[in-house]
Amino acid sequence: MFKRTSSVKTISVTDVSIGSVFEIGDSCHVKPRSKALAVQREYELFFGDEGNFEAFPIFTKPIPKPIIDEYVNFKKYNESSFIQVNNIDVISCSASGVLHIGSTKTIDAESRVKHIRQLQEDSDKNGKRNDSLSSE
Amino acid sequence: MNFTVVNKHICVDNIRITGVSSSSVFLVGDTDSITLSSVFDTPAESLIIGPFVPLARS
Repeated sequence: MFKRTSSVKTISVTDVSIGSVFEIGDSCHVKPRSKALAVQREYELFFGDEGNFEAFPIFTKPIPKPIIDEYVNFKKYNESSFIQVNNIDVISCSASGVLHIGSTKTIDAESRVKHIRQLQEDSDKNGKRNDSLSSE
Repeated sequence: MNFTVVNKHICVDNIRITGVSSSSVFLVGDTDSITLSSVFDTPAESLIIGPFVPLARS
């Protein structure tokens, strides 16, 4: 059985970021990984060197994968050897995202995000802001 | 289990995508296997109210 050929006339991609892949052509294995600490603070106060992935188990814990123990007798007939697309517009590809034009064997993507929000204590806030909160 | 796929002629005019994010795939082609995992953690403990303490440094 012949491999199928992907034919895309035009493609426009604006942004590929944070461990993402944009592949034109065939490949064998695609395995992107990304880790992110997403910190939001009530006002902008960030330190360039802070953050340690090892401090949070979410970044190191293995992710359980489904166990496939059933045999599948898979048959594929390609009556046409082309996959045709006229135009593709993609704004962004992020956090282990994969854009792939062409065939591959395996895709194994993993993305881990830890979200932390830091708010000020009521006593730290200025008078006006504090009043509106305490009146609730 | 027997699984048979017949790929006839496929022709698509236009595709518009805003975002492919957090271990997602957009594929024009064939593949044998796809495994996508995404972990997003925002537990109650992740809301810290108090003075802004920098996160642990490596």
